[in-house]
Amino acid sequence: MRFLLVIIFFYSQIQAQNYYVYVAAESDDTVSLIKFNETEAKEVERFEVGYLPTEIEGPHGITVDPNGEFWYLSLAHGNPFGKLIKYSTKNNEPLDQTTLGLFPASMQISSVTGLLYCVNFNLHGNMKPSSVSVVDPETMAEIKRIKTGTMPHGSRISYDGLKQYSVSMMSSELYEIDAITLKVSRKLNLSNKMNMGKSMNDKMEMKMSEMNHSTIKPTWVIPHPSKNIAFIACNGSNEIIEVDLENWKISNRISTGKGPYNVEISPDGKYLVATLKNEGSTAIWDLENMILLSKIKNTTSVSHGIAISSDSKYAFVSVEGIGGEPGVVDVISLKRLEKISSVNVGKQAGGIAFWKMEN
Amino acid sequence: MKKKILTLVFSCFIITLYSQNKTIISDLDGLTLNIGETFTPNTYVSNSDGLKSNCSNIIYYNKKGVFTSANSISVDVENGSIKANEPGTHEVVAICIGEGGKRHSRTFEVFVNYPKIKKVTLKLDDNSVYVGNYIPLIYEITDELDVIRTIDYWSSDIGSKYFSKISFSLKALNDKINIDNSNNILAVKDGVSTIEADFDGIKGNINVNVLKNPTSKIELVSNNENSKTGDVIQFEAIAYDKKGKVIENLPIEFSFTGKSFDKSNTASGLILQDGRFVGDVAGKYIVSARVGNISTSKVVNIFKRNVKREMNTVGTGLVNDKHTSDFWVFEGVDGNDYAVTGTWGADGTSYFWDVTEPSNIKKIDSVQVDARTVNDVKVSSDGKICVISREGASNRKNGIIIIDVSNPYDVNIISEYTKNLTGGVHNVFIYENHVYALSNGERYYIINIEDPKNPYEVGMFEIEKEGQSIHDVWIENGIAYSSNWKDGVYLVDVGNGIVGGSPSNPVAFGNYSYDSGAHHATYPFQSKSTGKFYTVLGDEIFPKGVNSKGPSETAGFIHFVDFTDLNDPKEVARYEIPSHGSHNYWIEDDILYVAMYTGGVRVVDISGDLLGDLYKQGREIGYILPSSPDGYIPNDTMVWGAQLYKGHVFYSDFNTGIGAAKVAPVKPDNSKTNQHILD
Repeated sequence: MRFLLVIIFFYSQIQAQNYYVYVAAESDDTVSLIKFNETEAKEVERFEVGYLPTEIEGPHGITVDPNGEFWYLSLAHGNPFGKLIKYSTKNNEPLDQTTLGLFPASMQISSVTGLLYCVNFNLHGNMKPSSVSVVDPETMAEIKRIKTGTMPHGSRISYDGLKQYSVSMMSSELYEIDAITLKVSRKLNLSNKMNMGKSMNDKMEMKMSEMNHSTIKPTWVIPHPSKNIAFIACNGSNEIIEVDLENWKISNRISTGKGPYNVEISPDGKYLVATLKNEGSTAIWDLENMILLSKIKNTTSVSHGIAISSDSKYAFVSVEGIGGEPGVVDVISLKRLEKISSVNVGKQAGGIAFWKMEN
Repeated sequence: MKKKILTLVFSCFIITLYSQNKTIISDLDGLTLNIGETFTPNTYVSNSDGLKSNCSNIIYYNKKGVFTSANSISVDVENGSIKANEPGTHEVVAICIGEGGKRHSRTFEVFVNYPKIKKVTLKLDDNSVYVGNYIPLIYEITDELDVIRTIDYWSSDIGSKYFSKISFSLKALNDKINIDNSNNILAVKDGVSTIEADFDGIKGNINVNVLKNPTSKIELVSNNENSKTGDVIQFEAIAYDKKGKVIENLPIEFSFTGKSFDKSNTASGLILQDGRFVGDVAGKYIVSARVGNISTSKVVNIFKRNVKREMNTVGTGLVNDKHTSDFWVFEGVDGNDYAVTGTWGADGTSYFWDVTEPSNIKKIDSVQVDARTVNDVKVSSDGKICVISREGASNRKNGIIIIDVSNPYDVNIISEYTKNLTGGVHNVFIYENHVYALSNGERYYIINIEDPKNPYEVGMFEIEKEGQSIHDVWIENGIAYSSNWKDGVYLVDVGNGIVGGSPSNPVAFGNYSYDSGAHHATYPFQSKSTGKFYTVLGDEIFPKGVNSKGPSETAGFIHFVDFTDLNDPKEVARYEIPSHGSHNYWIEDDILYVAMYTGGVRVVDISGDLLGDLYKQGREIGYILPSSPDGYIPNDTMVWGAQLYKGHVFYSDFNTGIGAAKVAPVKPDNSKTNQHILD
């Protein structure tokens, strides 16, 4: 019997996958490559990023292209504009860069257009409409800057690659951009106040935008992989809003713990995972039945980003930490609903992106 | 048989697959446009068999991108057309999104014709042209779009950009003017002549009255004949006619040749057309003045400046578990001497030091705040209040912390202030009960701290430009010197009264910027020896970015801008050392104490009139490289700042903490050098 158990154990180890994620440390100007072998997460490599060794440049958003050959990093701070840097996944060396807007943050690449869509968060700037930068990663040229709401965040592409979504934190809006025509196709007011029609001119929109200082503070949006709905984390109102994308209206509001920040859906569409920033925990819902399955305390405070493995088994959660303590990546099993492993990374761990899994 | 059919079908499939190499075909290929012309391309995808497939969607863009000042060729993404705005060759990228989401892209070169020239006007700033003078002609070119471009004697960049591909010729219509193969125009005989310029068949001309040179002799006088490297000698050329009468307002050209006393060196110097000469290298120089074909010369001997002195570290306060940022040394209320240092990329700690004995620097207290970087630290002139800046706060509120340092052995946090400062405070300054705090790298806020428990905002300054960015602010005599990267230094009245400004109403009244756009810090400098007023502007440049495998390269230099005339600032000198870049610095009694990052702490004599390359002139008094095998990065010098305080040169180093050095009154000890030193 013992022999059988040993055989089973070794067999499971042989069959175990290795999962790789990249995570940015915003106050360390470093990025870490994490490897998780279904038992333990380890930091494989940590490298410095940025251009100014004595200035904190704030690596914030991170994404890997659909082919897995390159990864992209946004640097929030600059003189004054931030940057987007392209790296090779072969050796993690920088290949190219371009300048974007104020505090470029989260981003994603469409598998249809091949273009990268990055929000210019402008977190500390004046309360005025900001933009989404569209970059061709092949040439690293910013080809268009599309005006959206105030403090846009959470850039996510629909699974068919045809739409880009973001939310404007301080004007409580959901923006949908047509990934091909590069125009705003729809806009939804999430605060249930008067919906801003497209017929308003820019001046009126800006005025409304200024008046509409958000109590909801939407910070992330994720479209469902197969259904015509999207979920929005509302950091100010402690809820997740479900939006019917077909009818373009709010269809549900789900109470959460304090300060939902990022929200992701497993590729199989079964789980909704959200970081609760103010609680330092991660919540998991059964998306079919909309039942809260578990709330897992993260290793330290200020839970931030989520990356879910392509096989929907694990959620990798970045946790910022406080002061001088290291940031952390927690690995959570979505099946077992528990934290499997944690690994220290640089300070203020934030942007996180899944790269690949392999034997 | 079945197997053979299957194999055949499979092979055909594979062959078909391989013949599917696709490329974008577009009438952008080889396209030539005229300026102002709009074009709507026709683009499709073709495979190697010539089979054409349309693109579901096409996106065109200028490869130079959105964030460019060139705007050479603009693309209307919505209707898929391009417009030519500037001449030259431009790259337009076409992305074809085909069926099934397949993406193809290709870059096309589009050529935009240079505008045809419509009119050529020749001008001269000064009509006094004498025999023997070169004529500085100005060309004003008007193109068919009525755009006027001017090429003058000194600027050839406009000419090379717009007119290098067209025919150009220049001729004089008689023998009173010679034009050489490089189109330099020399007046050789007196009388009237005409110069004709031909730009691509369009002619323009100007009549020039070449005057007989009235000069019979020139007397060249100077305020000095034997001087030192770096000292400016003022030459004056007095022209006399045949009768010995002085002729005024003649265009005098100054020049020089020289030979170094050291045969391993070459003579080097600078002469301006107002007669100021400076020798960089010790040697004999012949300075000449010329009016037309009459010239005279004078010899001057330039000797070594000999300011080098020994400089040694006398004490250190080691911080090697985290990086150190800025520092400030101050006299405490008890009359003893103290310092405060910040930390970088760490845990928000600031350290306090007793530096009363610079050879025995002691860490005496610390504070820890919610931040990852305390980039700047300052103490009020009465030694009671310390302000530290925050970046990387966990709650992203950042702002500043106000600390009671009346007893530096037991400091106390009084208050925190974050309003409008959430984006991170990179630098601060305290002046007359106000804190000037940078906000998000864009502007600074002015905060009244008369009651440090209840600070409140009274004013704000920004330069109100798109893309504005600020790195530092320094206040002296009620003027805030705001360092704004590519926009240069702004002089802002915050109480001086020169333009009626105050802390609640800051008013800008002066500005100077330079091409590199790397302006990072400013120190106002009133020269004690000459009375001239300079703004001393420092760069911060990392030419290769972050080197994750070792020390990062640094570059950039200190610019000396003569601001004596506020309306006409002139950059006159620089301090630059090869391979090392500038950071923070201090000036006192005509001596510059500068942190040159990897180049250590440098002490430089900036007395006298300043002109040219101060490093080459041997004005460096001494330096130290304060790396340590025990440093955060061992043996890596990275000096952040320097401050002269009660005769000692204090500094902070990124890897070793705080230190104090002393410049000795003696020359450097050369006993260990393997050179044959004569003096």
